[in-house]
Amino acid sequence: MENVATDENWKTCFSQLAPGLVLFARQWTRSLADAEDVVQEAFVKFWRRNHNIANRGLLYATVRSIALDFLRRDRRRARRESTAMSDVDQAVEPAFHVEDDSQRALVAAIDLLPAEQREVLTLKIWNELTFAEIASALGISQNTAASRYRYALVALKKNLPNT
Amino acid sequence: MKDFSELEDQLRKLRPAEPSADLMNRVERSLAEQSSTSTAGMLPRQRRFHFNWLSLGLGLAGAAALLMFAFIRLQQPAKKTSTVASRSPVPAVSPNSNQLVPAGLTQVVYHTRDEGLRFPANSQQPMRRVRSHTRETLQWLNPKTGASLRISYPREEVSLTPISGQ
Repeated sequence: MENVATDENWKTCFSQLAPGLVLFARQWTRSLADAEDVVQEAFVKFWRRNHNIANRGLLYATVRSIALDFLRRDRRRARRESTAMSDVDQAVEPAFHVEDDSQRALVAAIDLLPAEQREVLTLKIWNELTFAEIASALGISQNTAASRYRYALVALKKNLPNT
Repeated sequence: MKDFSELEDQLRKLRPAEPSADLMNRVERSLAEQSSTSTAGMLPRQRRFHFNWLSLGLGLAGAAALLMFAFIRLQQPAKKTSTVASRSPVPAVSPNSNQLVPAGLTQVVYHTRDEGLRFPANSQQPMRRVRSHTRETLQWLNPKTGASLRISYPREEVSLTPISGQ
C-alpha cells in the first residue's frame, strides 16, 4: 500500500516540482502566466491519467507536449492578431531570481544557448533529472542528452567572462 | 564533468522564480474537482491487480463443490443402460497384404425393453422376454492401400430367460 498516491501526496509533489516545471515550460511561452497555464494543464492531465507519481520523465514529457501545443496555438493567434510581437524564441528567458551581475551574466549566457541545449540544462540543473529521465522526457537517447548538456556547459563557459 | 563543477555550482545557485500562489490554488482546485468525479489519481495502477478475496473464496468453494459432486458420482455403481457399445479387437494383419481384411466389429445396443413374463406354449415355466435393438458395424481394411469398407445394419434380438418359481 506504500505506492498509493493520495491527493495530499500529489499536492506535495506539485509544490516541490512547480518552480522547475514552470521554468521548463517558460522555454516555449511568452510569459510566466502562460507557463503556469501549461504546467497546470499538464499536471492535472498527468494526475488524471493515473500515472505513477515517480515517473518524472513522463511528467516533463507531458509538460513539453502541452507547451508545444500551446506554442502552436499562440503563434496562430499572434498571426491572426497581426501583432508586432517578437518571435517567441527570442522572448524566451528563464525566470530566475538574479542577485548580482555575475548571475545576470549567467542568465544572459543561458539565453544564448540553442533551445535543445537549454532544455537539457534546465531539466538537469533546476529539475534534477537524471540523463535517463531527460532522455525519456525529450524522446532522445541518454547519450544525446549527456552530449547536449556537455555542449551547453562548454558554451556557457565560453560566453562567461570570468570562468 | 569535473571541469564544469564550478560552473554547475553557479548554475544551481540561480533560483527559478517561484510560481504564483494562484497556480497552487488552481491546481488544488482542479485536483479536487477531478476527485469528486473520479478516483483517478487517487489509486495507482498497481491497485488494479489486487486480489478480490471474495471472488477468490467463492471460486474455491465452487471448485470444491464440483469435486465433491464428481467424487460422489464416481462412487455410485454403474447403472444398466439401454445403450451398450462393444468393439471387437482388431486382428493383426500383415501391413503388406493387398486385400481387405476384417478390421473390427462394433455392436451398439441402443434400446432394450423388458416385455415381462411369458408362458411359451411348450413350456410350463414362465420366462422373461427381453427385446433389444442393436446396430452392428463391420469394417474391413486394406492395409496396403488404406481403403476401407464398412457395413452397418440393425439387429433385433429377443431373449427368453427362464424364471424359477421358488
